[in-house]
Amino acid sequence: MNGGRVLRFPPRAMPPEEIENSADRILSMPREARVEGADAVRLEQPDLLLSVCARLHDRLDSEPAEVRDDAEHLYEFLRVPARPIGLFDEREYFLGELALIAGTACRHLSRRDEARLWFDRAEGPFLHTVSATADLSRLTYQRLALRAEERQVDAVLEMATPLRESFEKLSMPVDALKVGFLEGVALTEGGRLQEAAELYRRIGAQAESLGAERLAAAALGNLTHLYGMQGDAARAIEASRQAIPVLKRLDDRIALAKVQWGLAGMLRETGQVAAAIESYRAAQEQFEQIGMRADVAALHLVIADLLLELGEEAAARQSVLEALPVIQDLQMVPEGMAALQLLRQSLREERIDRPALRELHGFFPDSP
Amino acid sequence: MPHTSPARDDEAREVFLRLQGVIRSTLVSYYLLTPEEADGAEEDLLPWFLRLARRSGNSPMAPKALRVALLSAACQYGRSLQMWKLGGRRSTDPRLDDILSREPEELAVDLQMRLDEELP
Repeated sequence: MNGGRVLRFPPRAMPPEEIENSADRILSMPREARVEGADAVRLEQPDLLLSVCARLHDRLDSEPAEVRDDAEHLYEFLRVPARPIGLFDEREYFLGELALIAGTACRHLSRRDEARLWFDRAEGPFLHTVSATADLSRLTYQRLALRAEERQVDAVLEMATPLRESFEKLSMPVDALKVGFLEGVALTEGGRLQEAAELYRRIGAQAESLGAERLAAAALGNLTHLYGMQGDAARAIEASRQAIPVLKRLDDRIALAKVQWGLAGMLRETGQVAAAIESYRAAQEQFEQIGMRADVAALHLVIADLLLELGEEAAARQSVLEALPVIQDLQMVPEGMAALQLLRQSLREERIDRPALRELHGFFPDSP
Repeated sequence: MPHTSPARDDEAREVFLRLQGVIRSTLVSYYLLTPEEADGAEEDLLPWFLRLARRSGNSPMAPKALRVALLSAACQYGRSLQMWKLGGRRSTDPRLDDILSREPEELAVDLQMRLDEELP
């Protein structure tokens, strides 16, 4: 039998208002100052950490780069030295949660190896929480999302169903719905556009009935893209018209940029090349502001292709030149290395190998 | 933007209040804690449980999962405190030894099953 004393903790709970104010204050402080002043801001208080985590979650879709750095910093603060946090499983929970947040932010930023590392870091602590099944299911979702972004269509379609069922068994309906998005991405990648659209419409309706407006708006955003791919301008515009105000209110900058991407696709499909370029550039600017370099690079390739269509070879070359270092740096398309080499070679000869360009941007998800 | 939800706190408090009798009898009758120790346990468990209910804001735990978690934590509390009091010795009460030899989670699931049978 293992012995162990249950330690008592200071009973004074922080009033809700104080928690909120302290969480805001902590996140607005320079990171080093947070540790130096940890005692003053009571950074080890579990109520406070809970509020800080909630804020980081909320900012994942608007400031992933900042959130990643904040989560890493707080994770390290808790990890070394091993600080006692709250009661029972709370230290494990916060370590797991902060690692999960950091990994999710890395996924948004296409830093995929780093995301995997953070997800591995989350797993150990989550195994020891009282909510382990739910926490590990959320982790599995993020890992599957990473696979979806890497276009592992079959794996995603295979693993989505058991994950959704797991969330349903745990009575976590919003998370179950989120799994549907991964299936939608996989169906889109597999060219099953009608099924994907049907799925997103169903997700949207269910999200509304659950009051999950962020998910409902995200479903509309994805429908914008799908209708655009099908050249259905009227429905694409209608879906975006419904999505944009909600996403703006929620400050979901990632989803907003994706809607813009979807509208650009619609313009391209309907033959409005110049307008499509403008729209892609607008999306690109939004991704740039969020720090999503992979998406900026992918859009450079798409824009280059369209510029070639307009006969603007020099501008197209410039666009490709801006994309290549990022693609290389982030090791975005290991499977597209041959196309990348061909494209690089053609640029040295001051022309663009268009089939190579198309092959390369074909390695990026069509679906934003 | 507030992140502490009064509604969720209220729900969690309600769950806690409904289970408070079971928790107390588990601590006092099974783990043989004194009433004062059981008071202290409840004082510690409540704020932890309110935080548990607020974890991962957009993915709250279902009420049943919350109940099992609370019972499990209560059993863990009772077991570790009693074992600390015994200082590594066996107790003179074989029923207590039997309870201490069981995993807290296992006992919590038994308690939950009994509650499920009793509740309408």
